[in-house]
Amino acid sequence: MKRRTLLVMGLLLGLGLSQVNPFRARLEAALHGGGHEFARVMLAQDKGQALCSQYRDRLPPDLVPQFLAEQKALIKYPKDGKLLGDWKNGEKVFTDPKRGNCYACHAGDPKEVAFGTMGPSLTGYGQRGTSEPVVRYTYEKIYNAWAFVPCSLMYRGGVHGLFTPEETADLVAYLLDPASPINRR
Amino acid sequence: MRSYKHRLFLAGLALLGVLGGLFAYTQQQKPLDPYEEAMRQRQMYLETFGVLPGELYAEEGKELFFRKGPSGKTLEECDFGLGKGKLQGAYAVLPKYFPDSRRVEDLESRVYTCMQTVQGFKPAQIKRDEVKAITTYIASFSSKAKMQVVPKHPQELALYNLGRELWYHRAGARDMSCAVCHDQYAGQRVRLSPVRSPKQGLGSEWPAYRFEADKLYTMEDRIAFCYESIAIPAPAFYSEPYIALTLYMLAEATKAGKSFEELPFFTR
Ligand code: HEC
Ligand code: HEC
Repeated sequence: MKRRTLLVMGLLLGLGLSQVNPFRARLEAALHGGGHEFARVMLAQDKGQALCSQYRDRLPPDLVPQFLAEQKALIKYPKDGKLLGDWKNGEKVFTDPKRGNCYACHAGDPKEVAFGTMGPSLTGYGQRGTSEPVVRYTYEKIYNAWAFVPCSLMYRGGVHGLFTPEETADLVAYLLDPASPINRR
Repeated sequence: MRSYKHRLFLAGLALLGVLGGLFAYTQQQKPLDPYEEAMRQRQMYLETFGVLPGELYAEEGKELFFRKGPSGKTLEECDFGLGKGKLQGAYAVLPKYFPDSRRVEDLESRVYTCMQTVQGFKPAQIKRDEVKAITTYIASFSSKAKMQVVPKHPQELALYNLGRELWYHRAGARDMSCAVCHDQYAGQRVRLSPVRSPKQGLGSEWPAYRFEADKLYTMEDRIAFCYESIAIPAPAFYSEPYIALTLYMLAEATKAGKSFEELPFFTR
Protein backbone atom coordinates (compact mmCIF):
# COMPACT_ATOMS: atom_id res chain seq x y z
CA MET A 1 0.00 0.00 0.00
CA LYS A 2 2.64 2.44 1.11
CA ARG A 3 4.90 1.33 -1.68
CA ARG A 4 2.16 1.90 -4.21
CA THR A 5 1.58 5.44 -3.00
CA LEU A 6 5.27 6.10 -3.26
CA LEU A 7 5.36 4.68 -6.73
CA VAL A 8 2.43 6.82 -7.85
CA MET A 9 4.00 9.90 -6.27
CA GLY A 10 7.28 9.11 -7.99
CA LEU A 11 5.53 8.74 -11.33
CA LEU A 12 3.67 12.02 -10.89
CA LEU A 13 6.88 13.79 -9.94
CA GLY A 14 8.62 12.37 -13.00
CA LEU A 15 5.77 13.49 -15.20
CA GLY A 16 5.88 16.96 -13.71
CA LEU A 17 9.61 17.26 -14.31
CA SER A 18 9.54 15.92 -17.84
CA GLN A 19 6.59 18.12 -18.79
CA VAL A 20 7.70 20.03 -21.90
CA ASN A 21 5.55 22.86 -23.13
CA PRO A 22 3.24 21.75 -25.95
CA PHE A 23 4.79 24.09 -28.52
CA ARG A 24 8.25 22.72 -27.82
CA ALA A 25 6.92 19.18 -28.13
CA ARG A 26 5.29 20.06 -31.45
CA LEU A 27 8.53 21.62 -32.70
CA GLU A 28 10.51 18.54 -31.77
CA ALA A 29 8.01 16.30 -33.56
CA ALA A 30 8.37 18.41 -36.71
CA LEU A 31 12.16 18.26 -36.48
CA HIS A 32 12.07 14.47 -36.16
CA GLY A 33 9.74 14.39 -39.14
CA GLY A 34 12.60 15.94 -41.11
CA GLY A 35 14.76 12.89 -40.46
CA HIS A 36 17.37 11.69 -38.04
CA GLU A 37 20.36 13.78 -39.13
CA PHE A 38 18.38 16.98 -39.50
CA ALA A 39 16.79 16.57 -36.06
CA ARG A 40 20.12 15.70 -34.47
CA VAL A 41 21.83 18.90 -35.63
CA MET A 42 18.83 21.14 -35.00
CA LEU A 43 18.36 19.75 -31.47
CA ALA A 44 22.05 19.97 -30.58
CA GLN A 45 21.86 23.73 -30.00
CA ASP A 46 24.30 24.95 -27.39
CA LYS A 47 23.23 27.47 -24.77
CA GLY A 48 24.26 30.47 -26.86
CA GLN A 49 22.40 29.31 -29.97
CA ALA A 50 19.30 28.55 -27.89
CA LEU A 51 19.31 32.02 -26.30
CA CYS A 52 19.80 33.76 -29.65
CA SER A 53 16.90 31.78 -31.15
CA GLN A 54 14.65 32.44 -28.17
CA TYR A 55 15.25 36.21 -28.26
CA ARG A 56 15.32 36.46 -32.07
CA ASP A 57 18.97 37.59 -31.95
CA ARG A 58 18.21 40.57 -29.66
CA LEU A 59 19.22 39.60 -26.14
CA PRO A 60 17.66 41.57 -23.30
CA PRO A 61 20.35 43.92 -21.90
CA ASP A 62 20.44 42.22 -18.50
CA LEU A 63 21.51 38.92 -20.12
CA VAL A 64 24.33 40.44 -22.16
CA PRO A 65 27.18 40.57 -19.59
CA GLN A 66 26.87 36.90 -18.67
CA PHE A 67 26.46 35.91 -22.31
CA LEU A 68 29.67 37.71 -23.28
CA ALA A 69 31.56 36.21 -20.33
CA GLU A 70 30.43 32.68 -21.23
CA GLN A 71 31.44 33.14 -24.86
CA LYS A 72 34.82 34.55 -23.84
CA ALA A 73 35.41 31.46 -21.72
CA LEU A 74 35.08 29.27 -24.83
CA ILE A 75 38.15 30.82 -26.48
CA LYS A 76 41.27 28.65 -26.65
CA TYR A 77 44.74 29.94 -27.48
CA PRO A 78 47.73 28.44 -29.34
CA LYS A 79 50.08 26.43 -27.11
CA ASP A 80 53.04 28.68 -27.87
CA GLY A 81 50.96 31.74 -26.97
CA LYS A 82 51.62 33.46 -30.32
CA LEU A 83 48.48 35.15 -31.61
CA LEU A 84 50.10 36.47 -34.76
CA GLY A 85 50.95 33.62 -37.15
CA ASP A 86 51.76 33.10 -40.82
CA TRP A 87 49.72 35.30 -43.18
CA LYS A 88 50.29 32.98 -46.15
CA ASN A 89 48.59 30.09 -44.43
CA GLY A 90 46.02 32.54 -43.11
CA GLU A 91 45.10 33.42 -46.68
CA LYS A 92 44.35 29.75 -47.40
CA VAL A 93 42.08 29.43 -44.38
CA PHE A 94 40.41 32.76 -45.17
CA THR A 95 39.54 31.61 -48.70
CA ASP A 96 38.69 27.94 -48.07
CA PRO A 97 34.88 27.50 -48.18
CA LYS A 98 35.14 24.60 -45.72
CA ARG A 99 37.11 26.55 -43.13
CA GLY A 100 37.09 30.37 -42.94
CA ASN A 101 34.93 31.10 -45.98
CA CYS A 102 35.40 34.74 -45.03
CA TYR A 103 34.75 36.08 -48.56
CA ALA A 104 31.14 34.97 -48.17
CA CYS A 105 30.65 38.13 -46.11
CA HIS A 106 33.78 40.30 -46.22
CA ALA A 107 35.91 42.11 -48.77
CA GLY A 108 39.62 41.29 -48.34
CA ASP A 109 42.32 41.26 -51.03
CA PRO A 110 41.27 44.07 -53.40
CA LYS A 111 41.95 41.68 -56.32
CA GLU A 112 39.09 39.41 -55.23
CA VAL A 113 35.90 40.84 -56.72
CA ALA A 114 33.53 38.06 -55.63
CA PHE A 115 33.12 39.15 -52.02
CA GLY A 116 30.01 39.39 -49.86
CA THR A 117 28.82 42.57 -48.21
CA MET A 118 27.14 41.30 -45.05
CA GLY A 119 30.21 42.04 -42.92
CA PRO A 120 32.37 45.20 -42.93
CA SER A 121 35.19 45.37 -45.49
CA LEU A 122 38.47 44.02 -44.12
CA THR A 123 40.60 45.62 -46.84
CA GLY A 124 43.28 47.72 -45.13
CA TYR A 125 42.44 46.21 -41.71
CA GLY A 126 46.17 46.36 -40.85
CA GLN A 127 46.04 50.14 -40.47
CA ARG A 128 45.21 49.44 -36.84
CA GLY A 129 48.81 48.34 -36.25
CA THR A 130 49.97 45.27 -34.33
CA SER A 131 49.80 46.42 -30.72
CA GLU A 132 48.94 43.71 -28.18
CA PRO A 133 45.30 44.85 -27.71
CA VAL A 134 44.67 44.96 -31.48
CA VAL A 135 46.16 41.48 -31.98
CA ARG A 136 44.28 40.06 -29.01
CA TYR A 137 40.94 41.59 -30.09
CA THR A 138 41.36 40.34 -33.67
CA TYR A 139 42.26 36.85 -32.46
CA GLU A 140 39.34 36.60 -30.06
CA LYS A 141 36.89 38.14 -32.52
CA ILE A 142 37.76 35.60 -35.23
CA TYR A 143 37.81 32.67 -32.80
CA ASN A 144 34.49 33.62 -31.23
CA ALA A 145 32.62 36.56 -32.76
CA TRP A 146 29.89 36.24 -30.11
CA ALA A 147 32.31 37.19 -27.32
CA PHE A 148 31.92 40.77 -28.60
CA VAL A 149 28.61 40.91 -30.47
CA PRO A 150 25.98 38.55 -29.02
CA CYS A 151 24.16 36.57 -31.75
CA SER A 152 26.17 38.18 -34.55
CA LEU A 153 25.69 36.79 -38.04
CA MET A 154 29.40 35.94 -37.94
CA TYR A 155 29.85 32.36 -36.85
CA ARG A 156 32.13 31.17 -34.08
CA GLY A 157 34.64 29.42 -36.31
CA GLY A 158 37.14 28.62 -33.56
CA VAL A 159 34.52 27.37 -31.13
CA HIS A 160 33.17 24.95 -33.73
CA GLY A 161 36.63 23.80 -34.77
CA LEU A 162 36.35 25.12 -38.34
CA PHE A 163 39.93 26.27 -37.78
CA THR A 164 42.42 25.55 -34.96
CA PRO A 165 43.90 28.13 -32.57
CA GLU A 166 47.10 28.11 -34.68
CA GLU A 167 45.08 28.72 -37.85
CA THR A 168 43.23 31.53 -36.07
CA ALA A 169 46.61 33.16 -35.41
CA ASP A 170 47.37 32.75 -39.15
CA LEU A 171 44.09 34.51 -39.97
CA VAL A 172 45.09 37.33 -37.61
CA ALA A 173 48.35 37.69 -39.51
CA TYR A 174 46.47 37.73 -42.81
CA LEU A 175 44.50 40.72 -41.53
CA LEU A 176 47.34 42.55 -39.74
CA ASP A 177 50.66 41.73 -41.46
CA PRO A 178 51.78 44.69 -43.62
CA ALA A 179 52.93 42.19 -46.29
CA SER A 180 49.46 40.59 -46.58
CA PRO A 181 47.51 41.39 -49.79
CA ILE A 182 44.81 42.81 -47.52
CA ASN A 183 47.17 45.64 -46.59
CA ARG A 184 49.32 46.01 -49.69
CA ARG A 185 48.78 49.14 -51.71
CA MET B 1 13.80 7.44 -77.24
CA ARG B 2 11.99 10.51 -76.18
CA SER B 3 13.81 10.77 -72.93
CA TYR B 4 17.11 10.15 -74.69
CA LYS B 5 16.45 13.09 -76.98
CA HIS B 6 15.45 15.11 -74.00
CA ARG B 7 18.71 14.29 -72.23
CA LEU B 8 20.80 15.15 -75.27
CA PHE B 9 19.00 18.39 -75.56
CA LEU B 10 19.61 19.22 -71.91
CA ALA B 11 23.28 18.24 -72.22
CA GLY B 12 23.59 20.68 -75.10
CA LEU B 13 21.98 23.36 -73.03
CA ALA B 14 24.29 22.64 -70.11
CA LEU B 15 27.34 22.93 -72.29
CA LEU B 16 26.12 26.22 -73.58
CA GLY B 17 25.58 27.36 -70.02
CA VAL B 18 29.09 26.39 -68.98
CA LEU B 19 30.64 28.11 -71.98
CA GLY B 20 28.53 31.16 -71.42
CA GLY B 21 29.56 31.17 -67.79
CA LEU B 22 33.25 30.83 -68.65
CA PHE B 23 33.03 33.63 -71.14
CA ALA B 24 31.35 35.86 -68.65
CA TYR B 25 33.85 35.11 -65.89
CA THR B 26 36.97 35.70 -67.93
CA GLN B 27 35.60 38.88 -69.45
CA GLN B 28 34.61 40.48 -66.23
CA GLN B 29 36.47 43.25 -64.51
CA LYS B 30 33.68 44.16 -62.16
CA PRO B 31 31.50 41.51 -60.53
CA LEU B 32 28.60 40.42 -62.69
CA ASP B 33 25.11 41.19 -61.60
CA PRO B 34 23.80 37.62 -61.23
CA TYR B 35 20.28 38.64 -62.20
CA GLU B 36 21.43 40.27 -65.43
CA GLU B 37 23.60 37.25 -66.14
CA ALA B 38 20.57 34.94 -65.73
CA MET B 39 18.52 37.09 -68.11
CA ARG B 40 21.35 37.01 -70.63
CA GLN B 41 21.55 33.23 -70.42
CA ARG B 42 17.79 32.94 -70.73
CA GLN B 43 17.87 34.99 -73.92
CA MET B 44 20.63 32.78 -75.30
CA TYR B 45 18.62 29.60 -74.67
CA LEU B 46 15.58 31.14 -76.29
CA GLU B 47 17.45 32.29 -79.36
CA THR B 48 19.31 29.01 -79.81
CA PHE B 49 16.55 26.50 -79.01
CA GLY B 50 13.33 28.48 -79.05
CA VAL B 51 12.34 26.91 -75.73
CA LEU B 52 13.43 27.20 -72.10
CA PRO B 53 14.56 24.16 -70.10
CA GLY B 54 11.85 24.76 -67.50
CA GLU B 55 9.19 24.31 -70.17
CA LEU B 56 10.55 20.85 -70.93
CA TYR B 57 10.09 19.84 -67.30
CA ALA B 58 6.55 21.22 -67.33
CA GLU B 59 5.85 19.25 -70.51
CA GLU B 60 7.09 16.06 -68.88
CA GLY B 61 4.97 16.89 -65.82
CA LYS B 62 1.90 17.24 -68.01
CA GLU B 63 2.32 13.71 -69.36
CA LEU B 64 2.73 12.34 -65.85
CA PHE B 65 -0.29 14.32 -64.65
CA PHE B 66 -2.50 12.52 -67.18
CA ARG B 67 -0.88 9.11 -66.63
CA LYS B 68 -3.13 6.52 -64.95
CA GLY B 69 -1.93 5.12 -61.65
CA PRO B 70 -2.52 1.57 -60.33
CA SER B 71 -6.04 2.68 -59.30
CA GLY B 72 -6.78 3.68 -62.90
CA LYS B 73 -7.05 7.35 -61.98
CA THR B 74 -5.06 10.34 -63.16
CA LEU B 75 -4.16 13.38 -61.08
CA GLU B 76 -7.23 15.14 -62.49
CA GLU B 77 -9.01 13.48 -59.54
CA CYS B 78 -6.84 15.29 -56.99
CA ASP B 79 -7.80 18.54 -55.25
CA PHE B 80 -4.76 20.81 -55.38
CA GLY B 81 -6.32 23.54 -53.27
CA LEU B 82 -9.11 25.03 -55.36
CA GLY B 83 -11.06 21.84 -56.04
CA LYS B 84 -10.66 18.76 -58.27
CA GLY B 85 -9.26 19.49 -61.69
CA LYS B 86 -8.75 23.20 -60.97
CA LEU B 87 -5.14 24.13 -61.59
CA GLN B 88 -5.42 27.80 -62.50
CA GLY B 89 -3.98 29.76 -59.56
CA ALA B 90 -3.84 26.71 -57.24
CA TYR B 91 -0.10 27.02 -56.49
CA ALA B 92 -0.63 30.58 -55.25
CA VAL B 93 -2.83 29.45 -52.32
CA LEU B 94 -0.45 26.74 -51.09
CA PRO B 95 0.53 25.52 -48.53
CA LYS B 96 -2.95 24.98 -47.10
CA TYR B 97 -4.93 22.52 -45.02
CA PHE B 98 -6.52 19.55 -46.83
CA PRO B 99 -9.45 17.87 -45.09
CA ASP B 100 -8.88 14.53 -46.86
CA SER B 101 -5.30 14.07 -45.62
CA ARG B 102 -6.01 16.16 -42.50
CA ARG B 103 -2.74 18.02 -42.82
CA VAL B 104 -1.25 21.16 -44.26
CA GLU B 105 0.54 20.49 -47.55
CA ASP B 106 2.66 22.38 -50.03
CA LEU B 107 2.33 21.50 -53.71
CA GLU B 108 5.12 18.92 -53.64
CA SER B 109 3.78 17.00 -50.66
CA ARG B 110 0.28 17.26 -52.11
CA VAL B 111 1.41 15.63 -55.36
CA TYR B 112 3.15 12.96 -53.28
CA THR B 113 -0.02 12.39 -51.22
CA CYS B 114 -2.38 12.16 -54.20
CA MET B 115 -0.10 9.80 -56.10
CA GLN B 116 -0.69 7.46 -53.14
CA THR B 117 -4.26 8.10 -52.03
CA VAL B 118 -5.83 8.82 -55.44
CA GLN B 119 -3.59 6.96 -57.87
CA GLY B 120 -2.61 4.04 -55.65
CA PHE B 121 1.17 4.24 -55.97
CA LYS B 122 3.30 2.92 -53.12
CA PRO B 123 5.76 5.44 -51.64
CA ALA B 124 8.70 3.41 -52.94
CA GLN B 125 7.32 3.65 -56.51
CA ILE B 126 7.22 7.45 -56.47
CA LYS B 127 10.27 9.03 -58.06
CA ARG B 128 11.40 12.42 -56.82
CA ASP B 129 11.99 13.59 -60.40
CA GLU B 130 8.41 12.79 -61.33
CA VAL B 131 7.05 14.76 -58.39
CA LYS B 132 9.25 17.69 -59.41
CA ALA B 133 8.03 17.61 -63.00
CA ILE B 134 4.36 17.38 -61.96
CA THR B 135 4.90 20.22 -59.48
CA THR B 136 6.39 22.31 -62.27
CA TYR B 137 3.45 21.59 -64.55
CA ILE B 138 0.87 22.57 -61.92
CA ALA B 139 2.83 25.65 -60.78
CA SER B 140 3.00 26.89 -64.39
CA PHE B 141 -0.74 27.65 -64.07
CA SER B 142 0.18 30.25 -61.42
CA SER B 143 2.78 32.06 -63.47
CA LYS B 144 2.90 35.69 -62.28
CA ALA B 145 -0.05 35.06 -59.95
CA LYS B 146 -0.46 37.13 -56.84
CA MET B 147 0.47 35.16 -53.71
CA GLN B 148 -2.51 34.30 -51.56
CA VAL B 149 -1.18 32.42 -48.58
CA VAL B 150 -3.20 33.51 -45.56
CA PRO B 151 -3.21 31.01 -42.68
CA LYS B 152 -6.70 30.64 -41.20
CA HIS B 153 -7.36 27.01 -40.27
CA PRO B 154 -5.97 26.16 -36.80
CA GLN B 155 -3.49 23.73 -38.37
CA GLU B 156 -2.33 26.41 -40.80
CA LEU B 157 -1.79 28.80 -37.92
CA ALA B 158 0.09 26.11 -36.00
CA LEU B 159 2.36 25.47 -38.98
CA TYR B 160 2.93 29.17 -39.54
CA ASN B 161 4.15 29.43 -35.94
CA LEU B 162 6.36 26.39 -36.40
CA GLY B 163 7.77 27.90 -39.58
CA ARG B 164 8.58 31.13 -37.77
CA GLU B 165 10.34 29.17 -35.02
CA LEU B 166 12.44 27.27 -37.59
CA TRP B 167 13.19 30.55 -39.33
CA TYR B 168 14.92 31.90 -36.21
CA HIS B 169 16.44 28.59 -35.08
CA ARG B 170 20.23 28.97 -34.93
CA ALA B 171 22.07 25.69 -35.16
CA GLY B 172 24.96 23.80 -36.66
CA ALA B 173 28.68 24.50 -36.91
CA ARG B 174 27.99 27.77 -38.74
CA ASP B 175 25.62 29.18 -36.09
CA MET B 176 23.15 30.18 -38.81
CA SER B 177 19.42 30.64 -39.09
CA CYS B 178 17.33 31.67 -42.07
CA ALA B 179 16.54 34.97 -40.36
CA VAL B 180 20.10 36.23 -39.91
CA CYS B 181 20.66 36.22 -43.68
CA HIS B 182 17.16 36.65 -45.05
CA ASP B 183 15.95 39.34 -42.60
CA GLN B 184 18.78 41.12 -40.80
CA TYR B 185 21.02 41.33 -43.85
CA ALA B 186 18.49 41.24 -46.70
CA GLY B 187 19.70 43.50 -49.50
CA GLN B 188 23.34 42.47 -48.88
CA ARG B 189 25.29 39.85 -50.76
CA VAL B 190 26.81 36.47 -49.88
CA ARG B 191 29.73 36.46 -52.29
CA LEU B 192 27.98 37.77 -55.41
CA SER B 193 24.47 36.56 -54.56
CA PRO B 194 22.03 39.18 -53.34
CA VAL B 195 19.78 37.96 -50.53
CA ARG B 196 16.10 38.82 -50.18
CA SER B 197 13.65 38.79 -47.28
CA PRO B 198 10.13 37.35 -47.48
CA LYS B 199 8.78 40.91 -47.55
CA GLN B 200 10.92 41.50 -50.65
CA GLY B 201 9.39 38.41 -52.26
CA LEU B 202 11.72 35.58 -51.18
CA GLY B 203 10.45 32.34 -52.71
CA SER B 204 8.71 33.86 -55.73
CA GLU B 205 10.97 32.11 -58.27
CA TRP B 206 10.33 28.40 -57.66
CA PRO B 207 10.07 25.98 -59.38
CA ALA B 208 12.93 27.23 -61.52
CA TYR B 209 15.66 25.95 -63.80
CA ARG B 210 19.04 26.95 -62.33
CA PHE B 211 21.56 27.17 -65.12
CA GLU B 212 24.52 27.08 -62.72
CA ALA B 213 23.40 23.67 -61.50
CA ASP B 214 21.73 22.61 -64.76
CA LYS B 215 18.82 21.31 -62.71
CA LEU B 216 15.28 22.09 -61.89
CA TYR B 217 14.78 23.28 -58.31
CA THR B 218 11.49 23.31 -56.46
CA MET B 219 10.96 25.36 -53.31
CA GLU B 220 11.91 22.32 -51.21
CA ASP B 221 15.09 21.84 -53.25
CA ARG B 222 15.99 25.49 -52.73
CA ILE B 223 15.45 25.36 -48.97
CA ALA B 224 17.47 22.11 -48.84
CA PHE B 225 20.29 23.90 -50.66
CA CYS B 226 20.38 26.69 -48.05
CA TYR B 227 20.33 24.17 -45.18
CA GLU B 228 23.26 22.28 -46.67
CA SER B 229 25.21 25.45 -47.26
CA ILE B 230 24.93 26.31 -43.57
CA ALA B 231 26.14 22.89 -42.35
CA ILE B 232 22.72 21.55 -41.39
CA PRO B 233 21.75 18.27 -43.12
CA ALA B 234 18.64 18.93 -45.22
CA PRO B 235 15.31 17.52 -43.99
CA ALA B 236 13.65 14.63 -45.84
CA PHE B 237 11.50 15.77 -48.78
CA TYR B 238 7.77 16.31 -48.08
CA SER B 239 8.45 16.64 -44.34
CA GLU B 240 6.90 19.28 -42.09
CA PRO B 241 9.94 21.60 -41.79
CA TYR B 242 9.67 22.45 -45.52
CA ILE B 243 5.93 22.95 -45.38
CA ALA B 244 6.16 25.12 -42.26
CA LEU B 245 9.00 27.28 -43.63
CA THR B 246 7.27 27.67 -46.99
CA LEU B 247 4.02 28.63 -45.31
CA TYR B 248 5.82 31.18 -43.15
CA MET B 249 7.80 32.76 -46.02
CA LEU B 250 4.92 32.91 -48.48
CA ALA B 251 2.48 34.23 -45.86
CA GLU B 252 4.93 37.07 -45.15
CA ALA B 253 5.38 37.71 -48.87
CA THR B 254 1.59 37.68 -49.29
CA LYS B 255 1.25 40.39 -46.63
CA ALA B 256 3.71 42.48 -48.64
CA GLY B 257 1.54 42.02 -51.76
CA LYS B 258 4.09 39.97 -53.75
CA SER B 259 3.47 37.92 -56.90
CA PHE B 260 5.23 34.91 -58.39
CA GLU B 261 7.65 35.28 -61.29
CA GLU B 262 7.08 33.63 -64.64
CA LEU B 263 6.84 29.94 -63.62
CA PRO B 264 8.85 27.86 -64.11
CA PHE B 265 11.44 30.58 -63.66
CA PHE B 266 14.89 30.68 -65.19
CA THR B 267 17.56 31.63 -62.69
CA ARG B 268 21.22 31.40 -61.71
C1 HEC C 1 28.25 34.97 -42.40
C2 HEC C 1 28.89 36.25 -42.43
C3 HEC C 1 30.33 36.36 -41.96
C4 HEC C 1 31.39 35.50 -42.16
C5 HEC C 1 31.40 34.20 -42.95
C6 HEC C 1 32.52 36.10 -41.53
N1 HEC C 1 32.17 37.28 -40.94
FE1 HEC C 1 33.42 38.56 -39.97
N2 HEC C 1 31.83 39.78 -39.55
C7 HEC C 1 30.55 39.61 -40.02
C8 HEC C 1 29.71 40.68 -39.52
C9 HEC C 1 28.22 40.85 -39.80
C10 HEC C 1 30.53 41.49 -38.73
C11 HEC C 1 30.09 42.75 -37.96
C12 HEC C 1 29.34 42.36 -36.70
C13 HEC C 1 30.26 41.73 -35.70
O1 HEC C 1 31.26 42.38 -35.33
O2 HEC C 1 30.01 40.62 -35.27
C14 HEC C 1 31.85 40.90 -38.77
C15 HEC C 1 32.97 41.42 -38.13
C16 HEC C 1 34.28 40.95 -38.27
C17 HEC C 1 35.46 41.54 -37.67
C18 HEC C 1 35.48 42.76 -36.78
C19 HEC C 1 35.65 43.99 -37.63
C20 HEC C 1 35.95 45.23 -36.79
O3 HEC C 1 36.03 46.28 -37.44
O4 HEC C 1 36.10 45.14 -35.59
C21 HEC C 1 36.53 40.80 -38.08
C22 HEC C 1 37.99 41.04 -37.71
C23 HEC C 1 36.03 39.74 -38.91
N3 HEC C 1 34.66 39.86 -39.02
C24 HEC C 1 36.82 38.77 -39.52
C25 HEC C 1 36.33 37.63 -40.16
C26 HEC C 1 37.13 36.53 -40.62
C27 HEC C 1 38.65 36.46 -40.53
C28 HEC C 1 36.28 35.61 -41.14
C29 HEC C 1 36.56 34.23 -41.66
C30 HEC C 1 37.25 33.37 -40.78
C31 HEC C 1 34.93 36.17 -41.05
N4 HEC C 1 35.01 37.38 -40.44
C32 HEC C 1 33.79 35.52 -41.51
C33 HEC C 1 30.09 38.58 -40.81
C34 HEC C 1 30.84 37.49 -41.20
C1 HEC D 1 24.47 32.47 -44.94
C2 HEC D 1 23.34 33.10 -45.51
C3 HEC D 1 22.05 32.30 -45.73
C4 HEC D 1 21.34 31.56 -44.83
C5 HEC D 1 21.65 31.32 -43.37
C6 HEC D 1 20.17 31.06 -45.54
N1 HEC D 1 20.19 31.48 -46.83
FE1 HEC D 1 18.71 31.23 -48.23
N2 HEC D 1 19.87 32.15 -49.61
C7 HEC D 1 21.13 32.67 -49.40
C8 HEC D 1 21.71 33.03 -50.67
C9 HEC D 1 23.10 33.64 -50.89
C10 HEC D 1 20.75 32.72 -51.66
C11 HEC D 1 20.88 32.87 -53.17
C12 HEC D 1 20.30 34.17 -53.62
C13 HEC D 1 20.19 34.14 -55.10
O1 HEC D 1 21.19 33.86 -55.77
O2 HEC D 1 19.08 34.36 -55.55
C14 HEC D 1 19.60 32.18 -50.96
C15 HEC D 1 18.42 31.79 -51.58
C16 HEC D 1 17.28 31.34 -50.92
C17 HEC D 1 15.99 31.14 -51.54
C18 HEC D 1 15.65 31.40 -52.99
C19 HEC D 1 15.90 32.82 -53.37
C20 HEC D 1 14.66 33.64 -53.67
O3 HEC D 1 14.82 34.87 -53.72
O4 HEC D 1 13.56 33.09 -53.84
C21 HEC D 1 15.14 30.68 -50.57
C22 HEC D 1 13.67 30.33 -50.73
C23 HEC D 1 15.91 30.61 -49.35
N3 HEC D 1 17.20 31.03 -49.59
C24 HEC D 1 15.43 30.18 -48.12
C25 HEC D 1 16.22 29.99 -46.99
C26 HEC D 1 15.78 29.33 -45.78
C27 HEC D 1 14.40 28.77 -45.55
C28 HEC D 1 16.85 29.32 -44.92
C29 HEC D 1 16.96 28.68 -43.56
C30 HEC D 1 16.79 27.27 -43.52
C31 HEC D 1 17.94 30.02 -45.56
N4 HEC D 1 17.53 30.39 -46.82
C32 HEC D 1 19.18 30.27 -44.98
C33 HEC D 1 21.75 32.84 -48.17
C34 HEC D 1 21.33 32.24 -46.99
